[in-house]
Amino acid sequence: MQLDPARRPLSDSGALWFVVSAFGSLGGGWLARGAITNATGVAGAATSGDWARLLAGLASIFLAGVAAWKLARAGLYSWLLPLAAANLFLLQPGRAGDLRTWRLEWGVMGLVWTLAAVLVFARLLRRSDELERRLHLEGAFFALAFGLVGSVVYALFENRLPVLRAQWVSVAMLVAWWGGFQLKALRYRWHA
Amino acid sequence: MARVKNRLRVLRAERDWSQAKLADELRVSRQTVNAIENERYDPGLPLAFAIARLFRLRIEDVFTPDA
Repeated sequence: MQLDPARRPLSDSGALWFVVSAFGSLGGGWLARGAITNATGVAGAATSGDWARLLAGLASIFLAGVAAWKLARAGLYSWLLPLAAANLFLLQPGRAGDLRTWRLEWGVMGLVWTLAAVLVFARLLRRSDELERRLHLEGAFFALAFGLVGSVVYALFENRLPVLRAQWVSVAMLVAWWGGFQLKALRYRWHA
Repeated sequence: MARVKNRLRVLRAERDWSQAKLADELRVSRQTVNAIENERYDPGLPLAFAIARLFRLRIEDVFTPDA
């Protein structure tokens, strides 16, 4: 077995943009959330450091958006799956609080994200060729199988495990989908 | 594993085309061209016809069943 000599470099494969986008959104979210929490906390007033952190966070999130756009423009849709998983971790829509207005706001946001995900998925299928479609189907099946086995295992050990949050299931299934896609793609990437 | 043999690599070499160029012509990914050339993947009928049409050949001149 040898590696296909005509493999694309790292920047063309989408790995670089994925790393930029994942670190940009996670780091930016962490910075912005820290600044807002600090400014609205005990001190009650934003310091210049808080403003700097907030601006750095927003710039980082903007950079993450540009990187995700680059991935979509290049048709590297498989990288959007782990990216969605990383951003689900950041958003944590389950932590909406008890206020009805908060829950409504998070519900609407969830709906918008779901609609966006459906549109991206439809575009993914339209832009993919027949082999890529097959790989995505196999990856999605892998995620489904992983989800089913995972839910059975969780049910068996439920009393010893922490409470399962819906977004963790989504994150796990997205990662499993992407993992399945990459695993199946290996079969076509290598040759004798 | 593919169940159909093909002459895609030979036909491409005769025209001095890269895999990327062929992929662009067929509007598929380079990985798909690579998988077909290495007989790891059998293309569907629309893609098989598109390949034959591109090389101005009959489909059976490009693809033959693996005996």
